[in-house]
Amino acid sequence: MVLVLALGDLHIPHRAPDLPAKFKSMLVPGKIQHIICTGNLCIKEVHDYLKTLCPDLHIARGEYDEDSRYPETKTITIGQFKVGLCHGHQVIPWGDLDSLAMLQRQLDVDILVTGHTHQFTAYKHEGGVVINPGSATGAHSSITYDVNPSFILMDIDGLRVVVYVYELIDGEVKVDKIDFKKTTATTAN
Amino acid sequence: MVKKRVPDWLNNSLWYSRPPPDDERILRYASRYSDPEPTAEPPTPAAPSGDPPRPEIVDSARDRDGDGNGVLESPSAEEISRQSQLLAELSSKVVNMRELRRLASQGIPDGSRIRPVVWKLLLGYLPPDRAIWPSELAKKRSQYKNFKSEFLMNPSEITRRLEKSANGDNDEIKRQNSGLLRRSGITHGDHPLNLVASSIWHQFFQDAVIIEQIDRDVHRTHPDINFFSGDSQYAKSNQEALRSILIVFAKLNPGIRYVQGMNEVLAPLFYVFRNDPDLDNAAAAEADTYFCFSELLSEFRDNFCQQLDNSVVGIRSTLARLSELLKQHDEELWRHLEVTTKVNPQFYAFRWITLMLTQDFDFGDIIHIWDTLLSDPEGPQETLLRVCCAMLILVRRRLLAGDFTSNLKLLQHYPSTNINHLMYVASKLCSKHSG
Repeated sequence: MVLVLALGDLHIPHRAPDLPAKFKSMLVPGKIQHIICTGNLCIKEVHDYLKTLCPDLHIARGEYDEDSRYPETKTITIGQFKVGLCHGHQVIPWGDLDSLAMLQRQLDVDILVTGHTHQFTAYKHEGGVVINPGSATGAHSSITYDVNPSFILMDIDGLRVVVYVYELIDGEVKVDKIDFKKTTATTAN
Repeated sequence: MVKKRVPDWLNNSLWYSRPPPDDERILRYASRYSDPEPTAEPPTPAAPSGDPPRPEIVDSARDRDGDGNGVLESPSAEEISRQSQLLAELSSKVVNMRELRRLASQGIPDGSRIRPVVWKLLLGYLPPDRAIWPSELAKKRSQYKNFKSEFLMNPSEITRRLEKSANGDNDEIKRQNSGLLRRSGITHGDHPLNLVASSIWHQFFQDAVIIEQIDRDVHRTHPDINFFSGDSQYAKSNQEALRSILIVFAKLNPGIRYVQGMNEVLAPLFYVFRNDPDLDNAAAAEADTYFCFSELLSEFRDNFCQQLDNSVVGIRSTLARLSELLKQHDEELWRHLEVTTKVNPQFYAFRWITLMLTQDFDFGDIIHIWDTLLSDPEGPQETLLRVCCAMLILVRRRLLAGDFTSNLKLLQHYPSTNINHLMYVASKLCSKHSG
């Protein structure tokens, strides 16, 4: 039972001052084993804050990140799953699921986590699952102003993943979940 | 000021020098004193071994020829008679508890291999009526199994089980091959970051702290004994069992939860039950140990509760009683310890009492002491105090000659001594108790 937090596109301080208070009250240290961040934090203070939540922190470089040392893509193995991480501004058209699927096949991962569109999506195709946690602060994106703050928490347990989606709608935190299983045969089905 | 004289029976050369060979029991430990090895042969020291070892705890008191080679000598006539009496008791339809307690208080012979059954009877786990043993055991063991499945599941599994019961199994099969994944509602409004007290996730994270503590202590239990530590599969399974027992106990007793040291009290119990020659019983040792451990701790639980420290039932009052006992039997020593050198019982006896002497003697000796402790009809605490008092009296010479530092050092690292000798003194204290 491994808890993995995935979030990104915070754009602090340029487009948002901080995470919503309701999110911050829920994110306490000691519960989460890994954090996966799609990028665009943008400053070191946010990096430090995330580090306090969990020492195992993975970040991919977003186009507005001030720290240029973050990698463009990253692959992490958690339990039975290979998780890929990329900000997403490199994949054109932005948010296009077929192009992201291509990236997923390139990285050879079961779950690909990307951002940039600031909209939550979860899409399954033969190669695996593509998840976009949205923007945790609700910062506006290059495309739209209408953004709900959201992030996800993945509960990886053996071959099964339960993704809890946390969204702030009208000031209230709404939680949904998505279940999926990895088929043991990784060859094309 | 009249100094109370040391009672005659105590003021005997018996306690200080090589004893006369006429007493049967004393003969046994005469060889011990001549034995060059300072302590009893411990159960095989932790050397990693593949298959489950069954280390024999060597009874040094019976190592008559003093060669320390760990071979159990044939039991003496007195022991044989005790063993046959015990076996007779155990084979009768309804066990006479008073008789059993009386026999057990003199020690249970190791060779007889009846210790697990006797301990279970003494702790009230098995009723005196032998006819209902199978049903009682079956009931208790299944109860423990239920406890385990209830308390040892992590929240992911609990959630899955709740879902399954709500939706049935068909949901698992219905999987889309591609497309946007459907979002579904969460079970019972519960999610991992829930801060509400009734959330299973919240409770899980709170318990995680205690479980971590239990893990750490279990790994530190008796690192020198193969049964408990080492890389063997056997040791790991034993540690798992200890861990489960302590977690179930902590969850069922929110009043005292888990306190460091409970693992030490648990260890001898589990060892004895796991090494039961009856294989069925040995396999179910975990369940049996849990209930016996509960029973044992119920007598001592007040010592573990911090709020009760200063109350009539708390540890402080127990320590005061030890003091009183010492004063009653050996006032000179008492005065020297408490008044002159100011060595309060709480500096040394706290550990003796709360951990039932498990930290101060070798494992083999602990099991023998516990034979006597558990056989006390009023509960182990009374006998324990007498044994502690006897421990003090046995080293009185060194204590009277020492100051605060040396006395404290001596008492906190109690020198190894012959157990039969110690228990004999303790039993003598009992008879003088009313005097």
